[in-house]
Amino acid sequence: MFINTLNGVVYGSFLALTSLGLSLVFGLGRVVNFAHGVLYALGGYFFVIFLPSLGWWAMLFAPLIVVPLAIAMEWLTIAPIRHRNEIYTLLVTFGLSFMITGAIEYLWGTETTLIKPPVIFQGTVDILGNQFPVYRLIAAGLSLLVTGLVFAFIQFTPIGLQIRAITDDNEMAEALGINTRWLLTVIFGGAAGFAAFAGALGAPIFSVDPEMGTGIIIDSFLAVILGGLGHLPGTAVGAFIVALAKSIGGGYIAEWAIAVLFLVVAAIMVLRPRGVFGRGRIA
Amino acid sequence: MATRSTYTRKRWFDVSRSAAMLTVAVFALIAVFGSPVFAAKKDPIKIGVLSFLSGKLKPIGDEITTGIQTAVKMQGPVMGRPIELILEDSLVNAQVAVTKATKLVQKNRVTAILGTSTLEALALLPVANRLRVPIITSNSGSAVITGSKCNYWVFQTNPTPQMAVVAMDSLIKDNPKLKAAKWFTLGHDYPWSRRVARSVKIVKGVKYVGETFAPLDTTDWAPFIAKVRSAGATAVVIPVTLGTPLVQFLQQANEFGLTKEATLVAPIGLPDWLIAKLGELSTHIVSAGAWSAWRLEDTVPTTKKFNELYYKMHGRVAGMQAIQAGTAAQLLFNAIEKAGSTDGKAIVAALEKLDVEAPAGRMRFQKDGRMAEVPLILGKIEKLKKPKYGAMYAQSVTALPASKTLEPAKKLGCNLKK
Repeated sequence: MFINTLNGVVYGSFLALTSLGLSLVFGLGRVVNFAHGVLYALGGYFFVIFLPSLGWWAMLFAPLIVVPLAIAMEWLTIAPIRHRNEIYTLLVTFGLSFMITGAIEYLWGTETTLIKPPVIFQGTVDILGNQFPVYRLIAAGLSLLVTGLVFAFIQFTPIGLQIRAITDDNEMAEALGINTRWLLTVIFGGAAGFAAFAGALGAPIFSVDPEMGTGIIIDSFLAVILGGLGHLPGTAVGAFIVALAKSIGGGYIAEWAIAVLFLVVAAIMVLRPRGVFGRGRIA
Repeated sequence: MATRSTYTRKRWFDVSRSAAMLTVAVFALIAVFGSPVFAAKKDPIKIGVLSFLSGKLKPIGDEITTGIQTAVKMQGPVMGRPIELILEDSLVNAQVAVTKATKLVQKNRVTAILGTSTLEALALLPVANRLRVPIITSNSGSAVITGSKCNYWVFQTNPTPQMAVVAMDSLIKDNPKLKAAKWFTLGHDYPWSRRVARSVKIVKGVKYVGETFAPLDTTDWAPFIAKVRSAGATAVVIPVTLGTPLVQFLQQANEFGLTKEATLVAPIGLPDWLIAKLGELSTHIVSAGAWSAWRLEDTVPTTKKFNELYYKMHGRVAGMQAIQAGTAAQLLFNAIEKAGSTDGKAIVAALEKLDVEAPAGRMRFQKDGRMAEVPLILGKIEKLKKPKYGAMYAQSVTALPASKTLEPAKKLGCNLKK
C-alpha cells in the first residue's frame, strides 16, 4: 500500500504539471487544447536531441524551444477562431496533435528512445523497507517545485492577478482593460513550456516515442475535469486523485483500475459538476 | 566462254550454299529463340509482396521485403527465369490488403503472394479460393490461419504464439533455476497474456505466486512491478506487447531493480532490433520464441549463407521477420522448381511435399495442414564475444523442434477437405 501510494504521489506530481497548463489555457481562453500531449512529447524529443551537446541542461533548454513554437501555433491557428464556440478550437487542436505527431514520426522516426537517468540518480533508495528509484523522487520533487512556482506566480504577481481576473470573469476583465488576447498567447506558451519540461523530466522514466503524450493527455483531462474546469488548485488535487487511483488500483485490482477511475470521475461530475472544490466551470 | 560459264556457275553455287546455310541458321535461331516457349522462359516469374510499406509498421515491412529480396538474390533464376518482385502496401488495412492482392493476381499476374502479416493473412483467407495463387505468410500471429480457418492456398512459416506458449513448458523443465523459481505473470490485459499465464501454471511442480494484467495503454508500470515484488517472485513471464510498451516496462523494471531480483521471461522472444535498443538491459531476459533465428547459422549452413548475404545487401543483422520471409520465399522458389511450372495447384502440391534446409532451419509443412514445422528458439539473451553482423547482443540458441510444440493439423482445427 505504501509503495503504491508513493508511486501515486510521484505520478501525480507529473500530472499536476501537465494538467495545470491545460487548466490555465481553458480557464483563460476556453480553449480545450488537445495538442497539449504533443507539446509534452516535443519536450521529450528536444531533450533527447540536445542531451549529447548540452548534457542535463537540455532539460531546461527543451521547453525554451517548445514555448516559441507553441506561441506561433496559438497565434496562427487558435487566435483567429478564439471568439467562436469551444468546439472549433477543440477540433483545431485535435488536428494539430495529429499533424505534430506525424511531423515527429517523419523527422525522428517511430522508434522508442531510452534515456538513462544521470549517474548520480541511478539506482534505488530504501524507504521503509521498499526499494524506490532515486530518479523518480528527484523528478517528483522538481515537478512539485515547478508547480509551486506556478501557483506563486499566479497568486503573487501582477500578471497572475490578471490571469485570475480573466479566469473568474473574462468579459469583466476585458472591460477593465486587460489584454486577454496577449495574455492567452503568453499563457499558451507557458503551459506548453510546463508540458515540455514534464516531457523532458519524464523521459528517463517513460522513454520517448511519438505517442508518449497520448496517455498523459487523457489523465490530464481527467484531472482537469475532477478539479473543476479552469480551477487551478482543484486541478492539482485532481491530478493526485487520478494518479493515486491508477497506482493503488493498479496494485490491487489492475484489470478494474481504469473502470474504477472513470466511475469516480463520473460520480464527481454528477455530484460536484464544478469539480472537487465546486469552483470550476461547468463548460 | 565455257570457262567463264563454269566459273560463274561455281561461284553462284558457292554463294548459294553460304546463303542457304545462313538462312537455315537464322531460321533455326528464330525457331529456338523466337518461339513462345523461349519467350516464356525469358519472362520473369512475378511474385507479389504484400506488406506494411508505410506508416508506423514500416520497419516490419522493411524487414519482410529485405528478407525476400535476399532470398531472391540467394536463389538466382528459378526454372531459368528471373524473379520479379512486385511490392504492394497494405496500409495496415484489411480491405486495402484484399484490393491489392486482387490487383497483384488479376493485373500483375503474379504466381504467388509473399510477405503478409496477421492482418493481411486474415483478410486474404476468405478470398484465397478466388485468387487461386499460393500465399505464404511469414509474420502471422493468429492461430486460425493454419487452424480452424486453414485454407488450401494459404501456408505459414513463422511459429504461432501458441507454439511459443507450449515452448514455455520445455523452457521451465529444462532449466533447474527456472523450475525452482517462484513464478509470476505480468502482462497486458488481453487473452493471449492469460493463455501464457495458464501455460506457466500448468507446468508440473512450478510454484506460481501470482499474476497481474495491466491495461494496454499503461505507461507507468510502477504499481504492477510493486505487486510482483510484494509476491516475492523470482521468475516473471512478461506477455507485454512488443515495441514501446515492452521497452517502457523493461526500463522501469530495471529502474526498480526487478531485473536483479528476478529472471524475466519473454514468451515470444525479443526482436533483434529491440535487443539492440535495450543493449545491456536485454541480458536480463530469457526468451522462448523464434527471434534471433539468425544464430542458427552455427548449425545450419543455409542460415549462414542467408545472414552473410543479408548483411552484405542491407548492412544489418537479419531479424526474425527477414529470416522468416526469406524462408517463405525460398520454399516458394523450391516448390516452383519442383513443380516445373508456375501453375498454382502444381506449386501447392510441391509445397506439401517439400523438405528443404531454409534460413529458419530444416523446413517442411505439417501433414494435412498448412503450418511449417519450424523450430522455436529458447535461451538467454547474452552479450556476444565480438559483434556479428552489427549485433552486440543476441539470444543464445537452443532449438526446440516443432515436434515438441506443433500439434497435428486436425487438433489445430484444420480440415482442408472441408
